Amino acid sequence: MKKHKSMYAIGTSVMGLSLAGVMLLGGPQDVQAKKPVSPAQAEQERQELLKAVLMGDALWHDGSLGTNGLACGNCHPDGSASNPHTWPKFQTNLGKVGTLREMINWCIMVPLEGKALPTESDKMIAMEAYATFMHDGVPIALGKDEQHGANPVAGGAGYQLPSGVTDLGAP
Amino acid sequence: MEKISRRNFLGMSVKATAATFVAGTFAPASNSFFGLAGIAEAATKKISPFTFAVITDAHLHDIKDHKFDRILERAVDDINKMNPAPDFVLYGGDLGQLAKPGELDKGKPILTRLKVPYRIIPGEHDWYLDLGKGWKDRFGTDHWSFDHKGVHFIGMNSILVDDYWTGRSLTPDERMGWCAELESHRCGAWGVGSEQLDWLEKDVAKLSPDTPVFIMTHSPLWDYYPRWNFQTRDAPEIRQILSKFDKVIAIHGHVHQVVYNSMGNMTSAGLLSTSWPWPYPNVQMPYPSIRMNRADPADIYDGLGGHKVTLAGDMGLGGTLNYQVWSDLLPANVQAGIKL
Ligand code: HEC
Ligand SMILES: [Fe+2]
Ligand SMILES: [Fe+2]
Repeated sequence: MKKHKSMYAIGTSVMGLSLAGVMLLGGPQDVQAKKPVSPAQAEQERQELLKAVLMGDALWHDGSLGTNGLACGNCHPDGSASNPHTWPKFQTNLGKVGTLREMINWCIMVPLEGKALPTESDKMIAMEAYATFMHDGVPIALGKDEQHGANPVAGGAGYQLPSGVTDLGAP
Repeated sequence: MEKISRRNFLGMSVKATAATFVAGTFAPASNSFFGLAGIAEAATKKISPFTFAVITDAHLHDIKDHKFDRILERAVDDINKMNPAPDFVLYGGDLGQLAKPGELDKGKPILTRLKVPYRIIPGEHDWYLDLGKGWKDRFGTDHWSFDHKGVHFIGMNSILVDDYWTGRSLTPDERMGWCAELESHRCGAWGVGSEQLDWLEKDVAKLSPDTPVFIMTHSPLWDYYPRWNFQTRDAPEIRQILSKFDKVIAIHGHVHQVVYNSMGNMTSAGLLSTSWPWPYPNVQMPYPSIRMNRADPADIYDGLGGHKVTLAGDMGLGGTLNYQVWSDLLPANVQAGIKL
């Protein structure tokens, strides 16, 4: 035990992690892989994520992502029925177990008659971020074949952005 | 890869429903359903049965040979093949997508191909480019009433919002764009406004309470999901004005889906579009069994359709709405027709 403690003590000082109390308390719920980020850093990370969400929101409502004037938001208001909590799964139109990103591309190519995005592109990540954000807190239901509505939002309330972003400006 | 329909793949297909709308006649099965339920009762009532068709939400784009053109044309052709022909057709708004002249100029000739007269109201997608000027130039007044075979029909413009553009100096295109997004926190909640409420009050003032009333608006006359403007701000006032009648039947576009409600003396049904289906909002539905299946996004005709409404008797008896679809969209209870 002593030996372990000193090992952790070294770890703490070298890597800036806060694990000293872990062994003493013992419960797995107390295990922390690293020190929680400071509130300021957490807010910064949140802002970065929200930027991606907002970029995704713009893309989901962008009539020029495809060629026929349609936008994802036409058929998926608030990202509803994209069911981000169910992926990866077998999707009939993909004909295999695929990812949310592959399905996003399928919908760009078929309903929007457009060109697929590179799956690791900022745009694709933003589209995934938006859909997932609108279902934040919905339990994972891997492979579930259902239509799920986005989290309810009060009428006229805008997005539930906890970060002080209240007006998304012009589309 | 060979295309398999999702519902076939999942073994949920109800092939019996595939006959509806496809063969060019509106659902023979539905006709016989109404024949059984409606006509016998109608004999004792004062309205002899009649039928009309309803289509809505074509969302035509100002793009040549757009797929939505074909869908509206198909719906119009199917109505023209109805036998017997409907007495008239109602159109529930959102003929265009961004209220562009090119969209309305494309849509009007298609509607004019209808062999029977039609009446039309606007949706938000027809309106916010020029605040309805182009729409009114082509289609006339945005609210109206007429009497047909003892039923009083009313159409109203329910998509009027408070001015969100002047203060922000939005261009007409921006103004339209803000309202064209279903997530309508940018354009705000809409309604019919005080002028139309006054008009409605006068319009029905002389009618006796046993007059059957049928009202069409673009948006529902109840608070379904205000976030998507699945509401009409002054619906409570409208329902109040119409509360003196024994029975009021309301239908509405905008929701692009099967949905039903009843409040007091009013029953209300949502209409399918001829453009795209909308998913259900994440709220409790008043009548959860009256809904549609999920649509297959690989089939441009899935999730869409037209409607046949049959009214008979007095409104104590009511009518039947048959959703007319090109796919196996409807669960059996809805396919059988819903009571209005
Ligand atoms: C013309 C209508 C239409 C458009 C436009 C459209 N989709 Fe879809 N999409 C659908 C329909 C219908 C479904 C099936 C919905 C259901 O399962 O209830 C679907 C399914 C999906 C799914 C899979 C849901 C699941 O769990 O199987 C995703 C993800 C998706 N769409 C994303 C998008 C994105 C991203 C865009 C824009 C690039 C888009 N869609 C554009 C109609 C559309
Ligand atoms: Fe619409
Ligand atoms: Fe609409």
